[in-house]
Amino acid sequence: MTVTPADLLGRPIPETDARLLRVYQELKALAAQPGLPPCTDRNVRRALACMWQVVNDLDLEFEQLYDLGV
Amino acid sequence: MADASDYWNPRNETLPREDLAALQLLKLRRLCSWAQARSQFHRRRWEQARFDPGQLRTLDDLRRIPFMSREDWMAAQMEQPPFGTLPTVSPSLAIRYHLTSGTTGRTPLRVLDGTKDWEWIAEMWAYGLWGFGVRPHDVVLFAFSYGTFIGFWGAHYACEKIGCLVLPSGGATTEARVKTILDMNVTTVCSTPTYALRMWQAASEMGIDLARESRVDKVIVSGEPAGSIPAVKRQLEAAWGAKVGDTAGMTEIGTIMIFECAKQPGGTHIIEDNFIEETLEHDGDRPVPYGERAERVVTSFGRGFIPLVRYRTKDLVVKVPHSACGCGRTGDIYQGGIQGRWDDMKLIRGTNVYPRAVESIVRECAAVDEFQILITRDRLQDEIAVLIELKPGRSDHWPDLHRRLCRDLADAHEGLRFNVAQAEANSLPRFELKAKRLVDKRPVAEY
Repeated sequence: MTVTPADLLGRPIPETDARLLRVYQELKALAAQPGLPPCTDRNVRRALACMWQVVNDLDLEFEQLYDLGV
Repeated sequence: MADASDYWNPRNETLPREDLAALQLLKLRRLCSWAQARSQFHRRRWEQARFDPGQLRTLDDLRRIPFMSREDWMAAQMEQPPFGTLPTVSPSLAIRYHLTSGTTGRTPLRVLDGTKDWEWIAEMWAYGLWGFGVRPHDVVLFAFSYGTFIGFWGAHYACEKIGCLVLPSGGATTEARVKTILDMNVTTVCSTPTYALRMWQAASEMGIDLARESRVDKVIVSGEPAGSIPAVKRQLEAAWGAKVGDTAGMTEIGTIMIFECAKQPGGTHIIEDNFIEETLEHDGDRPVPYGERAERVVTSFGRGFIPLVRYRTKDLVVKVPHSACGCGRTGDIYQGGIQGRWDDMKLIRGTNVYPRAVESIVRECAAVDEFQILITRDRLQDEIAVLIELKPGRSDHWPDLHRRLCRDLADAHEGLRFNVAQAEANSLPRFELKAKRLVDKRPVAEY
């Protein structure tokens, strides 16, 4: 069964939002990955901090990222 | 395409009120759960108050949460220096450190931000700057000292985010800033209202008419209530030949929570998808209806490092419905922005005097360059004086101006007599950040 992605208010989200959410989740996974060189590690975290603004602005996610150092 | 949008965040800035409330409740639950799990400050206080985030079933349940004050925060800071018990994670994860300006407290509060928080601070400014009309083609000058006071830091990064050309001017003199405004074709200036007037005065002394000779069409002000005083705004708009947009924030939240949109409805929209702004009776817990004077109490969703939940600001506001503005935003409005502070009020011979009310009257007089309110005690009686510095070449206006100010100040204050006196040119202090125009020389009572 396919689960339709929804925002924090339970509304179905368009494909662009679903892509943005996937980018955010991918950045989270990368930020949790050990052994990245400094240039990758720090820029991934910076990018994740920016993507947090997107998912917060679009009501796609609201969570804390400090445990990922962000 | 994006540049044509009137809103930075079209989805949430026009969200129906019932959806906005649902979003606030969801964020409140998550923020409180986080704070309870990670902040010793909140956990201890909520245990004492028998509050648990699981009790948050409707937005009205917010009232179960105990208030938080500056004094509470300061006590926690003193208990466990240097950052206290409020932070939810190790200070080593912070990337920024700032201090409150100490306007109303003796010791500044120390605040920390993580990477995500610092981006969020710029994001909130982006709501406001975009909403007032700042776009990627703008050239923005920050007349700001870039120190530990948070001031326009977030606005600087918001303008970079928007895509503007940003001109910092931290160490520059006022004259150098004026010259940069002309040389670099600056279109937008960010400063306090007081300093915007100061720059215009300096330009006049340099023989420069900013309204005619500069390309500035937007002046974004913050840091003082004056930005929404109609007389100050009119004076600034005439001086610069530009629209003047008010914003307001506080170091405790790191950014702005209200901004004036391009429609300029006589007030500032609240960014309600990121803040809950309660308007309560001063020092009480009774909600105050639309249109009445209240104290604002803020809960901020953006900073998980130091969560601010039901923080009593002592700011004096009058909330009106979003429908008072035709811009389409659904965020309610503070009529006249932040109208002052409840603890700014001075009692003079039984009459309440607010500095902002005095400034509103004084700034109606175009010949006034600078002013100061001086409160003294003559034996047992309190006296209030307003010292006026006139603009160069306006001395012949003094007799009429004196009569007018004495009359208007008394009329606005139940007949209270103000001693209005002329001050020598350049004898009163000038300000770059928050202006301090009230001097209370009355002895402090000791019991």
